[in-house]
Amino acid sequence: MYRKQVRRRRAVLALLIISSFALLTLTYGQRSGGVQRTVSAAFAPLQTVADRALKPARDLVNWFDQTFDARGENKRLQAELETARAQAIAGKAAVGENADLRKLLKLDRTSVVAVSAYKAVTGRVISRSPTIWYATVGIDIGKGDGVRVDDPVMAGEGLVGRIAAVSGGSSQVTLLTDHKSAVTAKVVPQGVQGLIRPAVGDPEDLVLDFIDSSRKVGRGDAVVTAGWRAGDVSSLFPPNLPVGEVTEAPIVEQEASRQVHLRPYADLRNLDFVQVLTGGSRG
Amino acid sequence: MIVTTKILVRLVAIVIAGVLLQLSFFSRIELFHVSPDVLPALVVVLGLLGGSMTGAITGFSIGLLVDCLLVEALGATSLVLLCTGYLAGLVRERLEVRGSLAPPLFCMGGTLFAALGFGIVQLLLGVDASISPLIIRELALQSVYAFFLGWPIYIGVRRVLRPALVEEPQVRRRRQPTVLGT
Repeated sequence: MYRKQVRRRRAVLALLIISSFALLTLTYGQRSGGVQRTVSAAFAPLQTVADRALKPARDLVNWFDQTFDARGENKRLQAELETARAQAIAGKAAVGENADLRKLLKLDRTSVVAVSAYKAVTGRVISRSPTIWYATVGIDIGKGDGVRVDDPVMAGEGLVGRIAAVSGGSSQVTLLTDHKSAVTAKVVPQGVQGLIRPAVGDPEDLVLDFIDSSRKVGRGDAVVTAGWRAGDVSSLFPPNLPVGEVTEAPIVEQEASRQVHLRPYADLRNLDFVQVLTGGSRG
Repeated sequence: MIVTTKILVRLVAIVIAGVLLQLSFFSRIELFHVSPDVLPALVVVLGLLGGSMTGAITGFSIGLLVDCLLVEALGATSLVLLCTGYLAGLVRERLEVRGSLAPPLFCMGGTLFAALGFGIVQLLLGVDASISPLIIRELALQSVYAFFLGWPIYIGVRRVLRPALVEEPQVRRRRQPTVLGT
């Protein structure tokens, strides 16, 4: 009797392990399957209710964490403000000059048109991945709101990520800090281009790779999406969406390319609302 | 654990409530920049209370539900959590572990095991990005949080599953007989 029980247990365990490997083999690297979308859609209302009911408790806990951070943040923000003031003054002059020059050269405003062609739909974050290996959030808007897979997602200050999966009334957003994320970006005003990759485990650090080492990139420089187009193939993101600012730009001699570190403008750790840029042609 | 239909319903409710709480609450709060992960602790508690099979099956189910809700590749979380639950159940079946610190310590160990296991699975699947050393801080703090959350989870789950628990000690205070006429 006991032996039979042990055999049955071993069989169940083996079955579960084989099922896990089979599921992993079948679904790894694939777009979201029908089962996942159905389960996700079925649980979306429950997640919305849980999200709203637990918000006061969440805010209370986060208040403690943010209070600890506030002192260090204050110093950093003051330093940033001084830099931003100087840049704003220089920027105003440059904008006027730019408009005059554009008129003279009869250039169209392609970059502005690309962004304005999108319609921003606001969504509430209802869930978040529990592990650092997946940086994803669930939002309460989906197909019915015009959201499509690969739509760019913004939050207040900058780019957050892109839509990875959509169901009727909810969607999953892959954040910039997810290990599968890659965004082509450029440093402004220099215009040097590279690929933004995350540093798994650190949500405040992104790495801009393949930077032309002959061009000077400094701390505090802004990084925006590149939004390239090559024939029928184009970037998932329109050009000039703000992404972050350079925090570390090590000088590497004798190498054709280098990487710089940047801090995303959007606070990817504390997202409550996001904006999905729907519609519009990409690139 | 004696699994009746009523207990099965309770187990399903625990699994769903645990996953919803994790995704909507624990994943979205931060203490020292790290969010607690209560799911490995929940699986450890279920394993400790119900044995290796309960631990393995609930671990697999929780992992599957999480992967479905996050729309990630199915199987990775299930594999890690089923191993965590099975090992916790084996500890309960093979070792005589007593003491009030045992459940939180097992939750701590289980969380660390699950986090490392998940990291190994991800690395085997291929992570095409750099890995920050801060990941060590994340693992350490998550284990510490699991220690503190382990005890309330253990008490809560034990209360819900009490009718099914075989070895639940029945400690009842006996009333002293009333002696009349003295």
